[in-house]
Amino acid sequence: MGAYLEQSLGWQNGFIFVLSAVILLAIVLGFVTYSIYFQRKILGWMQLRIGPNRVGPFGLLQTVADVLKLLLKEDIIPKAADKPLFILAPVLAFMPAFAVLAVMPFTESLHFADLGVGLLYYIAISGITVLGVVTGGWASNNKWALIGAMRSAAQMISYEIPLVLSVVGVILMTGSLNLIDIVEKQKEMGMWFFIPQFLGFVIFIIAQLAELSRTPFDLTEAESELISGYHVEYSGFRWAFFMLAEYVYIFAMASLTTVLFLGGWLPPFEFLGFIPGIVWFAIKFCAIVFFIFWLQATFPRMRVDQLMQMGWKVLLPLALVNILITAVLKTVL
Amino acid sequence: MATVYMNNYLIVAIFLFLGILLPVGALTLARFLRPSNPTEEKRKTYESGVEPVGSSWVQFNVKYYIFALLFVVFDVETVFLYPWAVAYDSLGLFALVEMVIFIVLLVIGLIYAWKKKVLEWN
Amino acid sequence: MSGEFIAFFVLALLTIGGAVFMISFTRVVHMVVALAFTFLGIAGLYVLLEAEFVGVTQVLVYSGAISILMLFGIMLTRHDATEVTERKGPFKYIAFAGIAVFFIVAFLGIQSAHWGDQQADFTKQNNVKEIGIQLFTHYVIPFEAVSVLLLVALVGAIILAKKEAEDE
Repeated sequence: MGAYLEQSLGWQNGFIFVLSAVILLAIVLGFVTYSIYFQRKILGWMQLRIGPNRVGPFGLLQTVADVLKLLLKEDIIPKAADKPLFILAPVLAFMPAFAVLAVMPFTESLHFADLGVGLLYYIAISGITVLGVVTGGWASNNKWALIGAMRSAAQMISYEIPLVLSVVGVILMTGSLNLIDIVEKQKEMGMWFFIPQFLGFVIFIIAQLAELSRTPFDLTEAESELISGYHVEYSGFRWAFFMLAEYVYIFAMASLTTVLFLGGWLPPFEFLGFIPGIVWFAIKFCAIVFFIFWLQATFPRMRVDQLMQMGWKVLLPLALVNILITAVLKTVL
Repeated sequence: MATVYMNNYLIVAIFLFLGILLPVGALTLARFLRPSNPTEEKRKTYESGVEPVGSSWVQFNVKYYIFALLFVVFDVETVFLYPWAVAYDSLGLFALVEMVIFIVLLVIGLIYAWKKKVLEWN
Repeated sequence: MSGEFIAFFVLALLTIGGAVFMISFTRVVHMVVALAFTFLGIAGLYVLLEAEFVGVTQVLVYSGAISILMLFGIMLTRHDATEVTERKGPFKYIAFAGIAVFFIVAFLGIQSAHWGDQQADFTKQNNVKEIGIQLFTHYVIPFEAVSVLLLVALVGAIILAKKEAEDE
């Protein structure tokens, strides 16, 4: 990819850029399909159930069937809804979820845009999703949807701050916002960043779960109190795009965690270097995705007041302390 | 303009475009496949099975606004922290002192909010 | 360069279109969403000017944070409100004259401004680092003043909000 980036734009490398983006989109959609399947399987096994096993061998086609069903569902727009915004909101929620992947490096040669401000780009673009959520909830003109949207937005913005502050330690150690540079630095140090930046890593993981609205922070979808929150009025494929955005974010966040803290495509030991980097990336990536689903079977849901207080009173001060410790250590050592 | 820079942002533009194209395309495709049979009952706003009471565009509590404001303030702080962290190696001790002053002032704001109990959620 | 021109054209259209829609929409929430598109367009223009850090910051602070702040602000009020009052008579002409004067001043200001003789050196990576070095060596006082400004804004908003809560 690097070689194509060096060339001036022509039909050939332009075509390659488009093609690679389309391939990534296909891979992401495949990931979403099978992550939902494995989520249901894993949850099933943990609860001594079997999980989906009817459609196709071992139920492997279950999600495909679900998606086809959604495609054929009637699209109902409530009469009281604000129609233009109701239609715009799923696009506004999905577009950033995919766009953040533009800066994600999978190996040193397999990457897309190699931006100097890569990390900041990821954070900035992912912030637009909140706008889609609030717009969708408001446009539905439904009490549950609006309350759910406002809660979601309050939760997302409260945890975005600890999330962005927790990675400042990583930037301090690397001296760059470029995601490839961050992995190269870990190679140079011979240590993945989750060891020297352990506090930052823990804050990042917690804040990331809240950003993704996964258990124990799945209040935005609290089925029992908010009847699934901001997208309650959505049906059919419009609803599917809100869900899709959520799972694409799991893909993006797991990739980002791998790159920032787990050494990206680096092997854990030098002598294992003969295995290609993309395999290591995939292993770490899958471990994080499994971890997210595992929590879902283990944790109860947090209370909304605890949630907000934890973001502002615990994680934010800890993130600031982490920055100061890293900076001081860097000066002293 | 440097070629690499331009190509990089071309890729970003392609990703943004695909991110819009997929929902629009899929929903257009679905239009030909899905039934459309809107009835009065179907298009009614959902309110746990009873007739909706009034508009749902109600006024919200001011505490939401405070959280949004805190968010903006700390977001701006991040914008300063990132270049600081990137350039830290070539700046040295003085930059650390500057940033400590900056953070302390914002932490005073946070403590003020804490003491005034606007971080509570009840 | 034609590619750059097309990008500029699309972004300018997005920016101006968002601004025009923001004025002509009647529902306040629609206005904010239109404004968010304007912010995105401006961010794109910054990127086109090789100021990627400024562009990304624009998305982070304006499209992300300020839009949400405005939406939350609207939720405090009667947000189903639509704008119906339309002023007539001399006010229209006064407003038009004011805009014309502003346009002339801004236009002359831009025309006569001195932009420096040579283009800044554009390196491939890390103009963030340059910004950091400049900010924390030459512009220390404005930087610290920003923190005071942010503190004042925060405390002021909390005082106002507390007053509001007590009134209820």
